[in-house]
Amino acid sequence: MTTHKGMGALVRLEVRRALRNKKFLFFSVIYPGLLFLIVAGGADTTTEVGDSGLGLPAFMMVSMASFGALTAVLVGNSERIAKERESGWVRQLRLTSLPGRGYVLAKTASAAVVSLPSIVVVFVTGAVVKDVRLDAWQWLALMAAIWAGSLCFAALGVAIGYCVTGDAVRPVTMIVYFGLSLLGGLWMPTTTFPSWLRSLADWLPTHAYAALGRAIELGDAPHVRDIVLLVAYFLLFAGGAAWLYRKDTLKT
Amino acid sequence: MSFQQVTKAYGEVLAVDGLTLDLHPGETVALLGPNGAGKSSTLDLLLGLRRPDSGTVRVFGTTPRDAIAAGRVGAMLQSGGLMGEVTVRELVRLACELHPRPYRVSDVLAAADITRIADRKVDKLSGGQEQRVRFALATAGASDLIVLDEPTTGMDVTARQAFWATMRDQADRGRAVLFATHYLEEADAVADRVLVLHRGRLLADGTAAEIKARAGARKVAFDLLDADAGSASRHSPEQRLRELPFLTELTVSRGGAGAGPGHTVRLQSTDADATVHALYGLGLHPRNLEVAGLGLEQAFVAITAAEEARTA
Repeated sequence: MTTHKGMGALVRLEVRRALRNKKFLFFSVIYPGLLFLIVAGGADTTTEVGDSGLGLPAFMMVSMASFGALTAVLVGNSERIAKERESGWVRQLRLTSLPGRGYVLAKTASAAVVSLPSIVVVFVTGAVVKDVRLDAWQWLALMAAIWAGSLCFAALGVAIGYCVTGDAVRPVTMIVYFGLSLLGGLWMPTTTFPSWLRSLADWLPTHAYAALGRAIELGDAPHVRDIVLLVAYFLLFAGGAAWLYRKDTLKT
Repeated sequence: MSFQQVTKAYGEVLAVDGLTLDLHPGETVALLGPNGAGKSSTLDLLLGLRRPDSGTVRVFGTTPRDAIAAGRVGAMLQSGGLMGEVTVRELVRLACELHPRPYRVSDVLAAADITRIADRKVDKLSGGQEQRVRFALATAGASDLIVLDEPTTGMDVTARQAFWATMRDQADRGRAVLFATHYLEEADAVADRVLVLHRGRLLADGTAAEIKARAGARKVAFDLLDADAGSASRHSPEQRLRELPFLTELTVSRGGAGAGPGHTVRLQSTDADATVHALYGLGLHPRNLEVAGLGLEQAFVAITAAEEARTA
């Protein structure tokens, strides 16, 4: 049980550290809310987005909440892990009783803790400023779905952190981050894409991620296809992260 | 812990070459060697950070990883970084919380002498202070073995002395301490046992005194005036000095001794008393005779040079 105690301690310290980092907090917590205000702009609830059946504010609210959670878990994780590998902190942690997977789990868990406020900020902005109205269960389900879905990208962040080193981390993370956000339709509906790009976007984890939230907003259950796709991506990223982690810490 | 015929190569380079050694509880052991001797590789193998190509490493009867997980080993690496953006106290608290048999945070801070800087951010420390924090992380709980890789790098002399005082406290609590160093005086002053590593192989294993003895333990220096050198002899002073017993090294240089023309003689002997006695027996009259212990550094140089010559 000591391992759990230790892991909890690491998560607590990681969270405290993240909350102290003003730049990180701005980009992961405040920024998605601001972006939501800008994108939703003067649109009112009656402007429908394509054939989605959702008003623009409601549509963009899910997009930006997903985007915010993605920022918090992906950008923060990959850069920190790469940095801590270089500084040798990961090696030092290997000399404690913390089990090998503990570091990766702690990183993922602490990122998830920080991503929650970013989701809440976008929701509050949507409800208060943009007049988005949903049933109580929908708010809760949305929060749960977006939060749980962000784990997929937390794992991706860990994998990038172990895969890329030094100066390359930031550009690689940014390309993956913006690419996934844009192509997955987090910034604009993919209905505006040419059809070939649209069929590609359909297979991206970010697309499935945003689709979870939109189904809930329409009062439906999320599509099985989206859930399966996200779980598959999660397993892929987490498996890749675990493999890279082992490779990195045990130099043979 | 024990190494049995452990070998580790990086590409063509053999970092650890058939190393076999045992460590006993409560010992303070120095792992001594020049850069590239395989010290860090040996510690990495001991700590399970690397896997040997062949041979086995056992720590407290189990694998390194299991021994660490059980909290029996605390370690401070040269390459071990610290978590940024947190205070010293927070980091030490984490180390205590991660240890299965932790000490109190305040005690660990006090033992490593970092109570004064406990509320400082880790990123704002000097090199020596960072080393102390690393030491605190390695001693956060009741481990039976503490492994330190070049622990005093970046410390000034005062800090170094204070550090070793702290470490001796740890050893006095009955822990085994294994440290790698290239500061020979540290090995000499602190260690019960010194392991000399060179090119991945164990060259010498014993107390600092034994290692010095092995290399020719004492040096003798004196002046020899031509007037005293016994002009009756057909041989030069150098030829006659070569006959001395227990001699391991001899240099004779022409030089003034202040009281007339003569030679300055420096020699090393494994039994200085017998050598000096024989010196008078040769009918020589040394002046300004000095007998001094050989530093571990010179012993070390002598041992590694002998090894180089043997393998060349």
